[in-house]
Amino acid sequence: MKKPFKISMRGRHILEGYSFISIWVVGFLLFLAVPLGRSLYFAFHRLEITANGLKASPNGFQFFRDAFTVDVGFTPALIHTMTNLVLHVPLILVFAMFSALLLNRPFVGRLAFRSIFFLPVIIASGTVLQKLLDQGAATLPIFLQYDVANKLNDYVPTAVLLPLLSMMDSLTLVIWDSGVQILIFLAALQSVPVSLYEAADMDGATPWEKFWKITLPIITPMILVNTLFSIVNSFTEIRNSVMQYIQMIAFEKNNYGYASALGWIYFVIIFLIILIVLYIFRNAGSNNYNREER
Amino acid sequence: MLGEWKETVRMFPMRKARSFGSHLFHYAILLSLSFVFVYPMLYIVSQSLMQVNDIADATVQWIPKELNFEHFRFAFDRLHFWRSFMNSTVTSLGAALLQIISCAIVGYGFARYRFPGYNVLLGLVLFTFLVPPQTIVVPLYMFFSDLGWINTYLPFLVPSAFGHGLRGALFVLIFIQFFRGLPYQLEESARIDGAGAFRTFRSIMLPLAGPAMLVVFLFSVVWHWNDVFEPNLYFMVSEHYNLPQSLMILNAQAEQQLSEAQKMMGGAMLTSVPTGYNRNMAGALLTILPLVILYGYAQRYFVESLERTGIAGE
Repeated sequence: MKKPFKISMRGRHILEGYSFISIWVVGFLLFLAVPLGRSLYFAFHRLEITANGLKASPNGFQFFRDAFTVDVGFTPALIHTMTNLVLHVPLILVFAMFSALLLNRPFVGRLAFRSIFFLPVIIASGTVLQKLLDQGAATLPIFLQYDVANKLNDYVPTAVLLPLLSMMDSLTLVIWDSGVQILIFLAALQSVPVSLYEAADMDGATPWEKFWKITLPIITPMILVNTLFSIVNSFTEIRNSVMQYIQMIAFEKNNYGYASALGWIYFVIIFLIILIVLYIFRNAGSNNYNREER
Repeated sequence: MLGEWKETVRMFPMRKARSFGSHLFHYAILLSLSFVFVYPMLYIVSQSLMQVNDIADATVQWIPKELNFEHFRFAFDRLHFWRSFMNSTVTSLGAALLQIISCAIVGYGFARYRFPGYNVLLGLVLFTFLVPPQTIVVPLYMFFSDLGWINTYLPFLVPSAFGHGLRGALFVLIFIQFFRGLPYQLEESARIDGAGAFRTFRSIMLPLAGPAMLVVFLFSVVWHWNDVFEPNLYFMVSEHYNLPQSLMILNAQAEQQLSEAQKMMGGAMLTSVPTGYNRNMAGALLTILPLVILYGYAQRYFVESLERTGIAGE
């Protein structure tokens, strides 16, 4: 029997590849590309709800100008979100790395500790975390019980103490937020070849040197992954003030066009930040020494 | 397996060298950190059991004088527990199962095939991960509402079936990494034996993807379970609320009680409903209990699996 048309091995390979990812592409068009296009359109149009549905009239860059000049709510929310991001992401990364190093050492009860470190991902997120925050349970009682703030006030000027204390307050949040990152770092630490440490031991390297010269360079790509994950996580969090603000504009004030414009401003800023991060990590790939071989 | 083997090799010279003191120090740090991690759980459990006289009693810090489940009965009632539980279960389990299948298929396609536009499409997957839901929420809402999907499970299930939905892009990336780490020989022999591409995927590669599937499943269930942003958009009536949404209202009810109480007191300032917080915590415990049980059951395999998913680019 002769096939109606013949395709080469290569053609078949390509066709099979496309068929595997086709569902994703369809989903991308339906649930991302089209909504993204429409929201861009909304951002430049004034929308009115009429009897025949939505009526759009061109509005130019008006919404974008308004966001920064007229709207008194957006800029503070944006600044708040950005400050949180800049403060929290490095803290999360450092803490996650520290915890991963602790957990990576061989000791009795490792698995139990690992499960505990992931617990906040389940408990302290979403509404439950909101509840805990409402009740002031997101601060460790140690700081309140022993009246640390007042005692320190005798030695440290208030102007320095207050930001420091608010950072201590958010420390619990940082710790609870780093569950996923700890696990990613742990997996990364497991992938460092033991032979390198052995060689370093032979040469008499200290643990400190081994960390900076072996561990850190090898897991740099994973630091990038974790940075991106933390940034996206912090940007899409429900407690994030910009998120809440946009939702309020869209679904309480029903100002769809303006909400879309704000969404785009937010997106562009995220994108810029991620580009900066990628630029900082631009050499991370080169440390990826013959990874393919293993 | 390989991880364990490495472990034993690594610990051998180190264990000799390490002194008792450093061991103790190590445990001290771990234990104190663990306290921070377990603290919310302890807090929720302890608060949810406390009665009015326990709160007033200065000698009671963590453990209430008597065991009383009254707050749980209240929260169970007000959360409409079984209804909310069913809504939560259908959305998170349904979406998670669909995401496992769809993201595995797509991840496999990206891991094993090269085709024109490969880099662009892979870039789009990353791009999808970065787009904040806020940017597209309005058109997406209109789209679903035009289809008449508001107050149904479809806005959660259908995107998941296409490899999207909550953090779908991340799951695709996890599967790409995982399948890249598997040896080619398995598929080659299957192909030589005459299995087609999909047959090879279904009967050879998918059964091997257990660790990645477990990780994706657990992440997906947890994130869907705790998510309130999308449910707040697509579940407009209380019959469809999931557990976290109902927990939100539980709070609103407590607030209302507070303001009513204030009115009755003739505007005297009451700082809180005496047991409002404790009821909230009982509700919070009920909300996360299914997840805690699931995690308690799966955590052993989960942490091991995560190391084997090649998430770290091994």
